[in-house]
Amino acid sequence: MSQANEFSGKTVDEAIDKGVAELGVTRDAVTIEIVREGSRGILGLGGEDARVRLTRAESSPAATHSEAETDAHTLLAELLRRMGIRAHIEILPAAESEGPDAFALNIAGDDLGTLIGRRGETLRDLEYVLRLMLAPKHQAAKVVVDVEGYRVRRERMLRELAKRMAERVEVSHQPITLEAMPPNERRIVHLTLRDHPFVKTNSIGEGEHRRVMILRK
Amino acid sequence: MDLQGLVEYIAKKLVEDPSQVSVNVIETSSSITLELRVGAGEMGRVIGKSGRIANAIRTLVRVAAAREGKRVNLEIV
Repeated sequence: MSQANEFSGKTVDEAIDKGVAELGVTRDAVTIEIVREGSRGILGLGGEDARVRLTRAESSPAATHSEAETDAHTLLAELLRRMGIRAHIEILPAAESEGPDAFALNIAGDDLGTLIGRRGETLRDLEYVLRLMLAPKHQAAKVVVDVEGYRVRRERMLRELAKRMAERVEVSHQPITLEAMPPNERRIVHLTLRDHPFVKTNSIGEGEHRRVMILRK
Repeated sequence: MDLQGLVEYIAKKLVEDPSQVSVNVIETSSSITLELRVGAGEMGRVIGKSGRIANAIRTLVRVAAAREGKRVNLEIV
């Protein structure tokens, strides 16, 4: 059982990003077929969008989950049940930026906004508690908790923002300071621009007010 | 909503001696106070540095209690 969906974007990469975000999965969880490469056109005119077809494996090849994954799933399911939240949890590979051994538990259901909270704060607390509960048995396990692909979408948005702001800094030579973000989100910005030829990133400010600054190299 | 059970469930997974975990509930018309007790020397495991663990548990309790329409306090005693 699988479903196929087509997505388009300015580049193949962008189309894939859009697709996985919409499906609420990671790249590893889909097979990617390039329908059309897309072209830039001249001076932004006459360009053609890239198009990809993503097929989501209903049970991914890694259907045999590790003990840490199964235990984390059980703990989270019980935690949500006791919180009075009816939802379905799927085990997915985590975003690349989380490291090779990380896995994600995506909570799917209706009306789960309260589980995300303001700027994802509730979601982060839920993840923190789950990691602590998992730690006695699986010290090294790195579990990421997501709700309806919120973090996947947020990561894509932050990557796009970082690239756009870097372009501006590159042209203007004026530093840009982004809004305050939690550590995992700042990390996404730093990683996105790590290999940028003309700009570098710093974090400034303390605690909740810590922001990423993008400046010319 | 079994807030007591929720706090107990979390706390028992965080401490070394789950048998010492207990939650006492004090309910008034406008608020619910949950008093969490853990074994001697294990308070750090449910409070954390600068109360980070306790605050994360409070967040989850608050989500669970949202429909009750009552103020919920979690105290570690």
